[in-house]
Order: sequence, then C-alpha cells, then structure tokens
Amino acid sequence: MEAMLEIADVVTAYGKIEALKGVSLSAAKGRITCLLGPNGAGKTTLMMSIAGALKPRQGSIRLEGSELVGLSPARIVGNGVALVPENRLVFPQMSVRENLLAGAYQRNDSGEVTADIERMYARFPRLKERREQLAGTLSGGEQQMLAVARALMSRPRLLLMDEPSLGLAPIVVKEIFGIIAELNREGVTIFLVEQNAHLALQVAHHFYLMEQGRVTFSGNPGELAEDEVIKRAYLGTRRSAG
Amino acid sequence: MIPFIQTTLDGLMVGSSYGLLALGFALIFGVMRRLNLSYGPSIMIGAYLGTLLYIKFGPPTYVVAIVAVAGSVMAGIYVERLCFAPLGVGAGVASMVSSFAIWMQLEQASLLMLPRHSYPFPSLTGGELWSLGPFVVRPDYLIMLAAMLAMSAALTLLLYRTRFGLGLRAIVENSLAASLSGIDVERTMLKAFALASAIGGVAGFLVLSANQQVTAMLGMWATLKGLIAMMIGGLGSIPGAIVGGLALGVIEAHSQNLFGPQVRDLAAYAVLFVLLVLRPGGILGTTAVRRGMGQRGGDRWTTT
Ligand SMILES: Nc1ncnc2c1ncn2[C@@H]1O[C@H](COP(=O)(O)OP(=O)(O)OP(=O)(O)O)[C@@H](O)[C@H]1O
Ligand SMILES: [Mg+2]
Repeated sequence: MEAMLEIADVVTAYGKIEALKGVSLSAAKGRITCLLGPNGAGKTTLMMSIAGALKPRQGSIRLEGSELVGLSPARIVGNGVALVPENRLVFPQMSVRENLLAGAYQRNDSGEVTADIERMYARFPRLKERREQLAGTLSGGEQQMLAVARALMSRPRLLLMDEPSLGLAPIVVKEIFGIIAELNREGVTIFLVEQNAHLALQVAHHFYLMEQGRVTFSGNPGELAEDEVIKRAYLGTRRSAG
Repeated sequence: MIPFIQTTLDGLMVGSSYGLLALGFALIFGVMRRLNLSYGPSIMIGAYLGTLLYIKFGPPTYVVAIVAVAGSVMAGIYVERLCFAPLGVGAGVASMVSSFAIWMQLEQASLLMLPRHSYPFPSLTGGELWSLGPFVVRPDYLIMLAAMLAMSAALTLLLYRTRFGLGLRAIVENSLAASLSGIDVERTMLKAFALASAIGGVAGFLVLSANQQVTAMLGMWATLKGLIAMMIGGLGSIPGAIVGGLALGVIEAHSQNLFGPQVRDLAAYAVLFVLLVLRPGGILGTTAVRRGMGQRGGDRWTTT
C-alpha cells in the first residue's frame, strides 16, 4: 500500500518534557487511518508536529516522500495538508463565509474558491443557512462542520482531524463520521485522532494505539477485540495493568 | 460663542494629527495586542532623514515626504525584527520593554544625524490662514484632517475587503488557527507593522510641515500623543483612533484656553485617567478589546 504520510522516529518536546518519544507510523493513500490513545498520550502533539505548529526535535515526517519537518505551517498547508484542530478553533468574530475564505487563503483561483464554498454549503446545509452568522454563535456541532469545511477549502491531499467528536451529542458525532467516510470515498486521505474507539474502528482501515508518547500497537480493525482496543485506548496498558 | 467654536475648531485640527498617529498605533495594537513604544522614534528617524536631505540639498517637498515615510517604514521594520518578531506571540511585556530600549537607540541615531534642538522643515502651504466667516482655519490642518479620514477609510477597506485584511483579522482572532489555515503569520504581521509605520511617517511629515520645523522632542511627542489618543478612543479600534485623536485635540485646546498652556497636558492626562476608570477600553474599544483578549487562543503552541 502506497503511503501518503510516513512518520519516522519523531521526538517532540515541551521544554524538557518529551511528549513524543520516537513515534513512527504511516497513513496509506486513500485510506482512513486512526490514532487512538488515552488523555495525554501525545496525539495532539503529533498532529501539531505534522502541521508544523510544533517543531520536532528529531525524526522525519514525509508527505508522499517529501520532508515536512522544518516547513512553516503555512508551507505545509501549501503542500496539501490541512488540520482540523482539537477544539475546532473557528474564527469566532468572522462570519461562516469568511471562515471558509480564510481556509482558502493561499489559493489564487477565486472563481474556483467561490465554487468550492458553494460545494461546502451543499455538503453542510446548516452552514449555508448561517453563512453570514458569526462563527462564535454557532452550536458546537456546527462549529465542527465549519472547521472541517474550512480545512477542506485548501483542497488537501491529506486531512488531519484531531478529535472531531469532542463534546458533541451522539447524533452529531454520527453525522460527522458519515461525512468523514464520504470524504474518504471521494479520495481524501484521512488521518484521524479519536477518543471514541467504537466509532473510529467502524470507519478506519487501519489504526494505531499510542500511550505516553509511543506507538504501542498497530493493526486493522478486527485484529484485536474491540473491548480490548477500547480498554487500551481509554486506560492505557501500563496504567490498566497495575 | 464664536471664541468657543474657534477653540473647538483649533482642537479638531490639531486633533487630526493625533488621530493620524493613533491610527498606526491602533493597527499594531489591534493585530498584535502589543504596544510599540518605538513608534514615535521610528517616525523621528524618517523625519530626520527627510530634514537632513532638505537642509543639505533643498529638494522638492514631495521628495522630503517620500524620504520621511520610507525612513519611518525602514525604522519600523527594524523595530519589528528586533523586538516583536523573535519573541513569538506570547511575549507582550518583553516586546514592550525592548521597544523602549530601541526608543533610546533610535533617538540617539537621530541626534547623531542632526544634533541641534530644532531645524526648519518644508511647508506644504506656506502656513497661510483661511477665513471662513468669523472663523480662521489653517489649510495645513485641513490636509491633515483629509489625510486622516482618507487613511482610516482605506484601512477599513483593506481590513474588510482584501485577502491581506482577512489574514490579519484571522491572526487577531486566533494566530494558531490562522497559521493552520495557511496564513503566513510572521510575514503578515511584518507587513502590518510596515503599514503602521508608513501611516506614522505620513502623520509625522504632515505635522512637521504644518509646524515648519522639526525638534528633538518629535519621537516622544508622537508616541505619547498617539498612545493617549488611542487609549481615549479605544484600544486597537480604527474609528476609535479618530474619535480619540479629535477628542484629545479638543480637550487640549479648551483647557489651554481656560487654564493656560501649562495646564494643557495635565488636563489631557486627567481626562484620560477619568475615562480609563469609567470605561477601561476607551470610548469605542471596550467590548472589542475584551472580546479579542478573551478569545485569543493559540498561545499555548508558540512556546517551543
Ligand atoms: N503546551 C504544553 N506545555 C507543556 N506540556 C504540554 C503542553 N501541551 C501538552 N503537553 C503535555 O504533553 C503530553 C501530551 O499532550 P497532548 O495534548 O498531545 O495529549 P493528547 O493525546 O492529545 O491528549 P487528549 O486526549 O487529552 O487530547 C501531556 O502530558 C501534556 O501534559
Ligand atoms: Mg489532544
């Protein structure tokens, strides 16, 4: 399977504390790869390292063979990687439309950008109804949809998503996962961090478990009993063993 | 009644120079939430370069204007690189302190260029006065008023109608999210800084040409007046900069008229004090600042 993203031996630290202690994994092109792990495992740190918002101390992150480590976040977006960040981080004082335009910041094909905004409205009808509303006044689920749509506006090859289900009602979570599967069918490679192991294993083609800054398991859904995955993802093997 | 109106007119005219200065301050504060104390001294560098050229070669006035603005932009970029860029987004106090240190450096550089206390500066109008019925106005200040209104309109269009403006506003709201959307935060901020310095350069040139002289007090004067006007009007707000500048001018003119020139600055500070107690965000800035401050996320990620 051809790899879209290859991460090798990445170490990222906050001051002296290493949050990633040599992470290696890969995400296959055209697939959904999922990263599971307990709170504090380093999942967000890994996403931020891929997106260039954090600089790894060591290791390499390659997108279809070309190195991303050392590039600025803006350059990484230009290379075709978009992150839907943890907690969404929409621009609260800007309208829905302006948020989408911000996602297309680097694009120069303004006609196509307008067409893409219309496509986003078709995919997310609730955003269309609220196109001139300030993003800060949207519900949590709507903000999550906006964050996904904003990321898609850069036309990424690789879509990174950090806990898109965080704090959302089950029915909204289901909707978001429906969209994830749909995007993937349309050819977008997805690398997803998720706490909801049950849902993640339903959409993922491949998954990794991460604990305390290290990848501790890698497999395909079905290889490991789901309750075992869930136990490890929520509790971590080290802590649950004792 | 006529003297009262005349004093108010005088205040509005001088106030337009404060408003122009405050526009540059407001742009930097609005985008970066940072105070650039070297704003005035950067303007001084440009003004002194223009003056040096003027007294050595006597070029046409527009050349002096271009040099003054370009010099101010160069000095502004120098300040940004030194004080504001290397520290990342979370370092408001450090950048303010270091911009104070650069203030001294820029003033010394200016005084090395031109050591006397004051020098002549070319005038745009010859300093003539116009009578409008019973009132007297100075065309110099009408130019300033027009420049202030035109620049604030242009700035508003830039912020709300262009891609650059969209990027700046995104950075103000959440610099991490802005960079993840592909906005080059550092470059956009540098451009905003250069733009603010250019506005300051224009303000400096217009004020000096109205005064027909430049003095060594320029740097301090520009920082103080711009800062006070911005604080009165509303931190980081463009309409606030104009309102604050005009209000400061009118307050000064009336207190000078009532109590004499010594009381003028004192009255301005007193009004500022009372205003900040009653409305800490300034006349127009309260909610905007609170919103902007409260929701500025992303600083967590810029520490490494
Ligand atoms: N800005 C920071 N400064 C210092 N330590 C940090 C910082 N951000 C995260 N950490 C630490 O790094 C480790 C990994 O954090 P990270 O946010 O990547 O975890 P996570 O797997 O995304 O957790 P969650 O599921 O709660 O989102 C944690 O121990 C955390 O305390
Ligand atoms: Mg996280």
